[in-house]
Amino acid sequence: MKRILNIMGFVLVMGLVTGGLLIAVDTLTFERIQANEQALLQSKVLDGFDVEYATASINDTFTSSVEIVTVTVDGVDYDIYVDPNTSDISFRFEGGGVWGPIIGVLTLESDLQTIKKVGILQQEETPGLGGRIVELPYLAKYEGVTFTPEIDITKDGATAPNQVDAISGATSTSNAFELILNDHFNSVVQAYQATLGDE
Amino acid sequence: MKKFWLKLQYKKWFNITKDGLLKENPIIVAVLGICSALAVTNRVENAIAMGLAVTFVVTASSLVVSAIRNFIPSRVRMITYMVIISSFVIMVQMFLEAYFPVIAAALGAYLGLIVTNCIVMGRAEAFAVKNPMRYTFFDGIANSLGYMWVLVVVASVREILAFGTFFNIQIMSDNWVPWTTMALAPGGFFILGLLIWGVREWAKNFDVATE
Repeated sequence: MKRILNIMGFVLVMGLVTGGLLIAVDTLTFERIQANEQALLQSKVLDGFDVEYATASINDTFTSSVEIVTVTVDGVDYDIYVDPNTSDISFRFEGGGVWGPIIGVLTLESDLQTIKKVGILQQEETPGLGGRIVELPYLAKYEGVTFTPEIDITKDGATAPNQVDAISGATSTSNAFELILNDHFNSVVQAYQATLGDE
Repeated sequence: MKKFWLKLQYKKWFNITKDGLLKENPIIVAVLGICSALAVTNRVENAIAMGLAVTFVVTASSLVVSAIRNFIPSRVRMITYMVIISSFVIMVQMFLEAYFPVIAAALGAYLGLIVTNCIVMGRAEAFAVKNPMRYTFFDGIANSLGYMWVLVVVASVREILAFGTFFNIQIMSDNWVPWTTMALAPGGFFILGLLIWGVREWAKNFDVATE
């Protein structure tokens, strides 16, 4: 009985100490992590709009350079970031990759079908394979590609205006990315266009 | 010099370090941590990032296990190791995301993978729970650096063959045809297998069948 009580006591103390430490570290870091995530999103939007910024004042630059329109798709609110000078738009996309979510920012030109830039905020794809989705030379291949009516990430070499080369050895990531981009384009852009029609 | 070398060989910390790096290398001899070794060795920078993160977690968790070894009930020792290791991994993850977001983004999924690395729990069970903190420190450092150098060697070969680059710098000619298999897990198996074979052959570290 004493042995069981010892074990229970040890487990309780260990749980309290490690749980307390984790709560303390979470409390200390939570705001900074949130601020970093917000700054990362803002930087991707500003990059998409070709707006220069300094890291320290990114929030001010973002506020003065970007207008936000909120649209609702299937009960979910999406913020559409609009460049008032060019009418280019950006929005956050999120969907399932191979090992975890792929989250990023898609910037479209004012025709609302040509990709200006794609940025990745978070991904958990296979390092060195699907993980190459964050690499700028790969993402640059999306610039100028058009959703006519959808983009096609192909293993056979991009030839049409709506095609992009897939990542070598990462077919599942390429397929998932294609699905995420097309889904968000079809739903979010359609909802945004409806708001333009209302005006 | 010879006298210094002889004296060194009778120092416990030196033998612990030598064992971790070479004689009882966690990958080449104990064949531990293979999953992550295969997953991250297609690029040298990934291998180094993973090696450094594992070094911190192995050393810190082993030190804590060693410090409380006289209080850990034997029936719950494995759970204790897991809780300690997981806590360290989560704390490192939060700290990096808050203060070094670029490094956290570069490490990505590797940080979480450390929890599943057998070497971390292996050192806690095989060494830290039976030895004082000063020796545990050398054991943790030596084993994780032993893990890291193997990762870097394997990654160097794989990155060159798979992408034509070393540390993201193009070193092969433009005509180089990337050997995609080397970026995949089978490529890791080939290179790691050849390395283990080569090192064991060189060190004569293998069993000989007897009649």
